[in-house]
Amino acid sequence: MSSYALPAGLWRREAMAEITRSRRMPQFLVPTVVTPGAFYALFALALNRSSPEAATVMLAGYGVFAATGPALFGFGAGVAMEREQGLIELKRVSPMPAGAYVAAKLAAAMFTTALAMALIDTTALIAGVHLSILGWVELTAISLASTLPFALLGFGLGMRMSGKGAVAAANALYLGSAILGGLWIPSSMLPGWMRTIGQCVPSYHLNKLAQAVVNPALGSSSPSHAAIVAGMTVALGIWAWTGWRRSAA
Amino acid sequence: MEHRLAAVAELAGASKKLGGRLVLDKLDLAIRAGEVTALLGPNGAGKTTSVGLLTGRLSPDDGAARLFGLDATRPAARARMGVMLQAAGLPDVMTVREMVTLQSGYYRDARPVADTLELAGIAELADRRCGRLSGGQSRRVQYALAICGRPDLLVLDEPTAAMDRASTRALWATVREAADEGAAVLLTSHDLAEADALADRVLVMNHGRIVADDTPSAIRARVSGSVVRCRTALPTARLTMLPGVRDAEADGTDMRIVTSDAVQTVRMLLQQDEDVQGLRVSDASLEDAIAQLVSEEQRIAA
Repeated sequence: MSSYALPAGLWRREAMAEITRSRRMPQFLVPTVVTPGAFYALFALALNRSSPEAATVMLAGYGVFAATGPALFGFGAGVAMEREQGLIELKRVSPMPAGAYVAAKLAAAMFTTALAMALIDTTALIAGVHLSILGWVELTAISLASTLPFALLGFGLGMRMSGKGAVAAANALYLGSAILGGLWIPSSMLPGWMRTIGQCVPSYHLNKLAQAVVNPALGSSSPSHAAIVAGMTVALGIWAWTGWRRSAA
Repeated sequence: MEHRLAAVAELAGASKKLGGRLVLDKLDLAIRAGEVTALLGPNGAGKTTSVGLLTGRLSPDDGAARLFGLDATRPAARARMGVMLQAAGLPDVMTVREMVTLQSGYYRDARPVADTLELAGIAELADRRCGRLSGGQSRRVQYALAICGRPDLLVLDEPTAAMDRASTRALWATVREAADEGAAVLLTSHDLAEADALADRVLVMNHGRIVADDTPSAIRARVSGSVVRCRTALPTARLTMLPGVRDAEADGTDMRIVTSDAVQTVRMLLQQDEDVQGLRVSDASLEDAIAQLVSEEQRIAA
């Protein structure tokens, strides 16, 4: 039976290879890293007369926004293109488990998210944002965790659509989840129907969790938002899994 | 003729429907250790689907697909298999060495990377990015990925398509060596010379079933005689009535006539059609034998 066991370190090597791949594709990496930081700099610094309070509130939403790009484009568009190029076929017949492939792509998306977060955090410090060490850690953790539901959403798309279709869909979801989730403009300023739809988007609830970190007065509803995000992540996991099965048949 | 070799991969009564069409019809098929088995047949015969089942990418609607005694769709069943697919690609930005190293890491008893590169004839390409390889070079890298783990089952789907002569010869030599060392090799090919040169056993498929299972020479011997090719206005029914003719069938713009008496056949052919063009007579090849097997099977089915 030992001859069937997988070699040690396989998951780690797969993840490192995937991160190397992302680094060598600056045409994808740079926009997903720079866009959230540039938007944050524009709204928090330039248009806001450098009010640290506003910059702190915005930091929460932009941390979630930083995760949606790498997850939707790396997974959604990336996976669809890899499927067209036959790269998934290559992995599928390898002894490597499918889980290692997905985990490696998730690691690469989190790596990109971490770079984007570093840029936003630097901007926040310039804007005069003050948070406790725990606050910074929590925001970073929420941002990295935000990668997961959007990665699964992107993976499900990538398994069902052509490369071009997936890019278009990822763009629509990227903007849609930012607006409806209240990542750019507070949800309370949106029209009622948009707020209603917003409740169905994971970014809305992730944003609420992040807001509670910068404004502890909002913290009382965090457990319910966390539960909703967890439920949505499970549902998106099923969507991703059925997409993987479907593309095999 | 009963072989005493263990089946490394097998389909047992496997049926598969794709897009509402029955592609495999209760297929039994065994790939054994130490043998090169060639899977041949016309397009749509079910070769790709059979390979899909044996490599665990597809699961049968009915019957079983087993690898090393395990359900072929289980990841553990792939631990000792190396596959070279026609449809597989390589990531543009990774180097050849990085890909071979990554793939070698999937196996417990992999070859040293340098040996794999040498065997596949890509040592001088090791530091090149995959996006900068020619078609033939990519195929050699795919071959390296298939053999790097010293697999007990090597699956090669049209391995030498797009390869030059020298690379093809080198690949044949290493495939032969792998089989001699005890690996089971499954080969699909459009190039029947390749099957003739490499295979210990030929399985001819048509309409999702095996229509012949024998050595290449035994299959060739089934069509002892000659093959007459020509362009003629005579209908197939008239051609089959010529003396000595066993089979006649359109092959592109040509007619392909299998006969036991080429001289008599050609004499009568010229008498009945003075405008015959491009007349050639040759010994029956493996290709002719397979074409005849398939057309006989079609006639029985009709």
